[in-house]
Amino acid sequence: MADTPLVNLTIEGRTVSVPAGTSILEAAKTVGVLIPHYCYHPGLPVAGVCRMCLVDVEEAPKLAPACATAVAEGQVVNVHAEKARDARKGVLEMLLINHPLDCPICDQSGECELQDYTYQEGRADSRYREPKRFNPVEDFGGDVMYVPNRCILCTRCVRFMDDVAHDAVLNVSERGDRATIGKFEGKDLTHAWAGNVIDLCPVGALLSKDFLNKARSWELDRTASVCSGCSQGCNMTVETRDNAVVRLRPRPNAEVNEFFLCDHGRLNYRWMNRGDRLEAPSVRGASGPRATDWDVALAVAAQALKGKTVFVLASPNLSNEALFFLSRIMKAAGGRGAFRIEQGPEAPLAGVDDLALRADRAANGRGAELLGFERSTTPLAGVSAGDAVIIADHDLTADDAAHLSRASTIVLVSTFMPSALTRADVILPIGNHVEEEGTFTNLRGRVQRFLQARAAPGMARPSWYVLADLSAALGDRLNVMTGAQAFAALAASEPAFAGPSYDTLGLRGAAVAGATAGAAS
Amino acid sequence: MSHGPSAAAGAAISTTPHGHSSEPYVPVFTGETRAQLDALMERYPTKMAALLPALWMVQEARGWVSPEAMAEVGQVLGLTAAYVKGVVTFYTMYHQHPVGKHFIQVCTTTPCHVCGAEDVVKAFLKQTGCGELGVTSTDGKYTVIEVECLGACGFATPVMVNADFIESVTPEKVPELLKKYG
Amino acid sequence: MGFPHKPHPRETTVLSEHFGEAEARSLDGWKSRGGYRALEQALGMDPLAIQAVVKESGLRGRGGAGFPTGLKWSFMKIGDGKPHYLCCNADESEPGTFKDREIMRWTPHALIEGCAIAAHAIGAETAYIYIRGEFTEPLDVMERAVDEARRAGVIGKNAMGSGKRVDVWVHKGAGAYICGEETALMNSLEGKRGNPRIKPPFPAAAGLFGMPTTINNVETLAAVPPILVNGGEWYKKMGRADNPKSTGTKLWSVCGNVMRPGNYEVEMGFPFKEFLYDLCGGPPKGRKFKAVIPGGSSVPIITMAEAEAAVMDYEGMVAVGTMLGSAGCIVMDDAQSIPRQVARLARFYAHESCAQCTQCREGTAWTTKILERMVAGGGTTEDLDTLMDLADDMTGKTICVLSDSCAAPVVSGLQKFRSEFEALITRKTVHTVPAIVA
Repeated sequence: MADTPLVNLTIEGRTVSVPAGTSILEAAKTVGVLIPHYCYHPGLPVAGVCRMCLVDVEEAPKLAPACATAVAEGQVVNVHAEKARDARKGVLEMLLINHPLDCPICDQSGECELQDYTYQEGRADSRYREPKRFNPVEDFGGDVMYVPNRCILCTRCVRFMDDVAHDAVLNVSERGDRATIGKFEGKDLTHAWAGNVIDLCPVGALLSKDFLNKARSWELDRTASVCSGCSQGCNMTVETRDNAVVRLRPRPNAEVNEFFLCDHGRLNYRWMNRGDRLEAPSVRGASGPRATDWDVALAVAAQALKGKTVFVLASPNLSNEALFFLSRIMKAAGGRGAFRIEQGPEAPLAGVDDLALRADRAANGRGAELLGFERSTTPLAGVSAGDAVIIADHDLTADDAAHLSRASTIVLVSTFMPSALTRADVILPIGNHVEEEGTFTNLRGRVQRFLQARAAPGMARPSWYVLADLSAALGDRLNVMTGAQAFAALAASEPAFAGPSYDTLGLRGAAVAGATAGAAS
Repeated sequence: MSHGPSAAAGAAISTTPHGHSSEPYVPVFTGETRAQLDALMERYPTKMAALLPALWMVQEARGWVSPEAMAEVGQVLGLTAAYVKGVVTFYTMYHQHPVGKHFIQVCTTTPCHVCGAEDVVKAFLKQTGCGELGVTSTDGKYTVIEVECLGACGFATPVMVNADFIESVTPEKVPELLKKYG
Repeated sequence: MGFPHKPHPRETTVLSEHFGEAEARSLDGWKSRGGYRALEQALGMDPLAIQAVVKESGLRGRGGAGFPTGLKWSFMKIGDGKPHYLCCNADESEPGTFKDREIMRWTPHALIEGCAIAAHAIGAETAYIYIRGEFTEPLDVMERAVDEARRAGVIGKNAMGSGKRVDVWVHKGAGAYICGEETALMNSLEGKRGNPRIKPPFPAAAGLFGMPTTINNVETLAAVPPILVNGGEWYKKMGRADNPKSTGTKLWSVCGNVMRPGNYEVEMGFPFKEFLYDLCGGPPKGRKFKAVIPGGSSVPIITMAEAEAAVMDYEGMVAVGTMLGSAGCIVMDDAQSIPRQVARLARFYAHESCAQCTQCREGTAWTTKILERMVAGGGTTEDLDTLMDLADDMTGKTICVLSDSCAAPVVSGLQKFRSEFEALITRKTVHTVPAIVA
């Protein structure tokens, strides 16, 4: 907004210069000052009800709610002035009078904003001597349960369902201290994006039934990643405990998913922990696959592929880097590649521009297309007699398997053994997308990095690493040792990916010109 | 808002204890009533603004606002049932369950309190046989509740019986008053 | 008037002149009493000219805030191309206040006329009269009067043949004190929960349905026709010579422990002592006055010493540590327990809190629980400190002033009648009623 005038003010002694109309709370963020708050959320309309963000503005008669007060020229704001701290202390005390002492059994513990601010600025004791208000736990449907006793009535959940999801199934019921969040009998939180209310809830009032009592927040390791549930490419955080993925949560990205993740993406993580993984490089022996070491398996695979036309069945959930090496192998051998991408009903988040659970239920269909793989409902129909086929982490139907009878050689580069596959000459085990780093290209041509969140099982290696080695064994050596180098090699050879590097992509990704051109809009 | 549980066994109305009829719901906004609502909606630039008036029409027709009625109003005005419920539960005058034939509201806020409003309440509870606030008498005739300031403080103690606004009620006047509401 | 009693000679009956006259309710009856001359005059005037008259009169909002009416109207930008709205606040729910009810049920056309003039003065074509749902008689009377006025062409598409449109609609509330707060009233009218809005934006910028809106109290609007007919000067002259900030008359709703409760209309600046003992007849037989809440329950309680020294206008009430507010005058005699009444008032506010702001939602309920526990004999000295602390937490920190209003009786009650609270703690019973003095 080049034409919006700037306003200059002072917050906690720091000089701030922000566009007119910015709230004091947002202005404070720009200079690293966090003003405590509950009901405010940058993805929701301002409510100004929790009264936690009250700050002292010099010469103003009353404390100002920072989330609902626009900056003014020359304002001097003291977030930690005594009267502001007293006011916040008062709010915290009031929020705790009916709040049960549930921390030991509450899932939110460790990531609870009520705990955080009380510890930081609240009272060490309680003066409340009266009986506490009690309401039973409710099932709100979907993945959401509601614990009214813990609710601080910030109304983030109500505003999300109403203003962002455009499905006003939550309300505030009753009045005064009898108020709770409510819904209508029979109308549940079945909206495709309803699970976001769990993340939005600052306390343990709205909880995930899936995550209930599963792990403590401080036990979790958190890694930046990208959801592979569909082609939207929502940024997410993978949370693991003892190397098992226990929860997925949205990671903010203003260009893709704002602050939100759909329930399909959020709850679809169990496959990441599946136990039936390919763990050892194997070659086919007289009585079935025989585990061996990487050098042997790669050599056998290269031998099996040499001189033949190569057909690649590549999963649209493979990274750009892995698909890059696959496409090099495929093109060098004068072959083709295809993939099938599962479809499902689209479910937009109406209140956010261009955000939906997409019909394409895989992360990297666009990447695959850009790298020369053809989208098809019968991807193996193009296999010619005598072709060497590489199956790269793609599942097989009975029909697919029938086409394979024409193949002379089958090399399986995969995380799992497809049940319809009867024969594989070489098996090269790889990691899934939370077990390695890489990038995906979303439906709009945005390339985004994901990082490794857990260790791959057994001897499995990163997919791009294995495929770079296989490509080298076939005579195409690119000297790639890291994910960054793999991407650099991709960017150097493919015009669609020219420009970015891992450094420039950072953890928010970037729209890549070559990739966005011709992307669905 | 809720005023407490309605009477169970013995109520004259043929409903289950929580007032939900086992018969299918009959819509309120048909024919004449619908026409009235349509005319009323002309007064406002949004459909939502007709919500409070529509809820009054429901209560006038049925004596209370049932969940089915909330869903119907929502449908007619393009609002979710949860939204309508949120509004209904905010305002004290919409009954969320059936009440006695004569719904008695006694003001007990300070100006009436200092003029003996509590004794008026006691007199009503005794005379109606309700015994308890918010509980409908077993014959289904009366429900007595305390309300906040009715805006007739100089005429302590004001009492509403359904839509009748009666001023200057004292304990002594209660028996005579109730005769009209047999 | 001490209506329903006969007017006292010291009253100045501008608004209440025709209280009690059944014929005044009809259009013809009102016209024969001089009604609708002001509207006819106003419809031929420029909106800014009407605003000027009202500004000059010094009329201030009679709902409780006392904001200068002419100034409030001037915030509306005439000719901005947006639909403007006038809301008449007839939600009268402030304990102690019962004047708007009388204006509506005895002189409905006075209000309709005031609404129509105000609408024209602020560039509005639509006026809504939001009447609390419990006011069944005023609702009925107003609906019929509005209908009558519309059929006679006094209001409607072509008000009084002026070519100007003024639509007036009655809108029924459903039981919520908080809907008397102007922004909550607008939300309620829009079909929402009666939650007050954060300001800015102010109603004159974005109010009802997001459009420029002015909200005025019934009594304020009813004063507009006589001001227009008699002139701003005439209204300004009523009041203390040395206090030009409070002008005109005020309807005082007197209730509680007093010989002659009712509505009294007196000029600004009337001596409170004379008012209470002479016009209102003093305390009930055998009792003495103990305390007064002069402006509706949301203003501080004052002692009789303070009351007897007070003058009945905005500044006069502030001078004795309280406010004129809505002039809902609650009088308590020596048979009453201040802690018990403060507890009862706290309960009122706790019941009415909309639940948005933490301090109000939790604070009003907590305050009530402490006070009721004290009245029941379970209080401690720490409770008194806690109550004062809570009152401070509840003042000046919320979207609206309901929580401040709950704090007012607590603070003033503790400050001025502390011994009664302390006695409760030590003796664990509400004080015994002094014997009747024969």
